[in-house]
Amino acid sequence: MTEEEKKSFWQNMKEVIYGMASHDMSRYALRTRASMEHLFILITMGDMIGVPILPPYYSLRLLPYVVPQISTWKRRLLREKDVSDAMF
Amino acid sequence: MSLKKIFEEHPERRYIMFGGKGGLGKTTFSAATAYWLASQGKKVLVFSVDPQASLSDIFQKDIFGKGPVKIMDNLWAQEIDADQHIKAYQNEIRQKILDMYGFDAVPDEIEQYIQAASAEPAMEESAIFDAVVDIVIGGEYDYYIYDLVPLGHALYYLSMAKVYDEWINKITKLREEMREYEEMVSRMKREKETEEDQILTELQYIRTRINASSSILTDREKTGFFFVIIPEEMILIDTAKAAELFAKFDVPIMGYVVNRVVPRELLQQNIPAYLKNRIEMQDKYLDQIKTTFGKQVAAHVPELERDVTGLEMIRQLAEIMYGK
Repeated sequence: MTEEEKKSFWQNMKEVIYGMASHDMSRYALRTRASMEHLFILITMGDMIGVPILPPYYSLRLLPYVVPQISTWKRRLLREKDVSDAMF
Repeated sequence: MSLKKIFEEHPERRYIMFGGKGGLGKTTFSAATAYWLASQGKKVLVFSVDPQASLSDIFQKDIFGKGPVKIMDNLWAQEIDADQHIKAYQNEIRQKILDMYGFDAVPDEIEQYIQAASAEPAMEESAIFDAVVDIVIGGEYDYYIYDLVPLGHALYYLSMAKVYDEWINKITKLREEMREYEEMVSRMKREKETEEDQILTELQYIRTRINASSSILTDREKTGFFFVIIPEEMILIDTAKAAELFAKFDVPIMGYVVNRVVPRELLQQNIPAYLKNRIEMQDKYLDQIKTTFGKQVAAHVPELERDVTGLEMIRQLAEIMYGK
């Protein structure tokens, strides 16, 4: 086995082990993270969908950072059942 | 203890507030105190947190929304224009969105939110609150004199700091939890460091601003709060209640100033029964003030023969309050 092959073998092994051991965990963590993100937008930008929140003055400061997430967030809140519930 | 003595004994108290029910003379006393301190060679800024401020009227100079305006040597006055502050703030947010994402225009949905948020009733107070933070953390004056809003409002203003603080703590905690998940994932995927969470940085910034303001309001070393009262029953009842609430918010009360006392010398003259009755009524409540507030009463200010506007009248009043 050349040096090259040895390297790629270990690389593959690493990925297989990652896939077996922690891929599921990290996917789960990412999903939790996404739910929290939506919760976060709700408690800072709730005014957008009619949920009054405390001080809109300072929440405006956070607005620029969540601009890309706003539409997915609204879609998710309006959905009665999450498609991913059935998939996973 | 006299007002003058209080200031002389506590030179470290740089943030001075006059509070009380509407129309009792908060602005007048703020102006006179600022005038006296300035004439003692201290650099003073007197500013109003009232959306219906009247510093412009008392100094007879239009200072609304113009930043600190010099009134005389060592004395500056400022009236915050909340609308102007909100507009500038909105533009700052819009510009940030455009810069961050390279948009030509702010998306409709977002624009609507920015406008709707600014129509909130709390927006004006919050904007003033934020503007005050800018003023006081500057720190370039020896004295900052707050011409406060009437009692109910002032309490709201004080409680706002506490409410904000709790709100920020909650969302910061959530944000930090989110951060932990993110880090966990990147550790499992063996990625390098996750990028800095800008929202968390922003939250921390907001928190420092809120704390800066509320810590000043409740700082026993550097802050002094005076209640303005007049010898009348309703005022005394309300003030006693307010004083209790203020104490709950840890506001250090420095004393009470009694305004509108009808000069007792008048009794030597031939005065109408109307005036005599008023003096008798005031006597009763002055006694009450003496028993309730005792040594905390810092000054009695007589009912003057004309209203206090313009520097000359302010000077005369300062002389009455602080001596020549």
